[in-house]
Amino acid sequence: MSEPCGRTFDEALISGYVDGTLVQGDAQRVQIHLEDCASCRALVDEITAVRETTISSAFATPADHEWPAEAPQSTASRTARRLGWPVLAAWAILLAGVGLLEAWRDADDSLERLILVAGVSGLSLLFLSVLLDRLKARKSDRYHEVHK
Amino acid sequence: MTSAVAQDDEATDRELIDQAHSGQWDAQDTLARRHRQSAFVLALQMLGNRDDAMDVAQDAMLRFFTTLDSFDRERRVQPWLFTIVRNQVRDLWRRRQQRPGDGLVDGEALAGQLVDSANPEADLQRQQLRKSVWRAVATLSETKREIIVLRDFHDLSYKDIADVLKIPIGTVMSRLHGARKQLKAKLEEGGHHV
Repeated sequence: MSEPCGRTFDEALISGYVDGTLVQGDAQRVQIHLEDCASCRALVDEITAVRETTISSAFATPADHEWPAEAPQSTASRTARRLGWPVLAAWAILLAGVGLLEAWRDADDSLERLILVAGVSGLSLLFLSVLLDRLKARKSDRYHEVHK
Repeated sequence: MTSAVAQDDEATDRELIDQAHSGQWDAQDTLARRHRQSAFVLALQMLGNRDDAMDVAQDAMLRFFTTLDSFDRERRVQPWLFTIVRNQVRDLWRRRQQRPGDGLVDGEALAGQLVDSANPEADLQRQQLRKSVWRAVATLSETKREIIVLRDFHDLSYKDIADVLKIPIGTVMSRLHGARKQLKAKLEEGGHHV
């Protein structure tokens, strides 16, 4: 077990050194430090040994027959699906709008219109409630920056 | 008749992406066969459960192919797929009401998925060490575990890791070093000195 390195040295450079990702100047700085720091030399050895152990591991993976047999979707299928949803949504909104307008015109008295207004208001409030919840959840969601 | 694409396992990912964009299904199939196992293993390392890992890997492959049209052919396939796997894992945790920090996995279950080497008797000590290391990896927080497996198992470059984790490339080295130090401490706690 290595003792902590007590000197002023950015220890994270050790990992970059092990991975061979340092620029020449930093690599030389680490090499000079390692020459007279036994604890960092031990750390290099330990990190290297653990990495060799993990990278040489193998996990049991599913056999071919365990994967779904169906072929991935074609480009045409994906495009059609991508276009299909907005078109369907636009159609539903249009249909609902025309339906409401017709119902409003056909309403015989103020009671029927009141029922219509109450229905639309209720739906709008429910929609608003879900929207506000989603917006609030999005603000506190640690993963919202991860694009799907 | 099998097309030339399906037989051509030597084609680069970029060639296969181009062929897939032009509607060649065999190219998609070759891509899937090439990358799905690593997607599964990453999911397994993050979830520790084979069934969940299979579900996530299947969803990730489907997602990969449904977003293929927007895939930047200049990027490498594996980091892109791993980003999707990571998102799917997080979606699963979210559906199960797990929060970051709750994502610890069963170390025994994960170590139990290791494949023994061809000559287990001669390599017994090495295999025991592997099991100890993966048990210790399982006890790391998901943030530390994911960077360890991306670098020290899947061998991704720092740039690819930065892409997958959506962090600056300068942060990769310090986060990775912190994770390695903690892994070392966990191994020492368990009485294992590598």
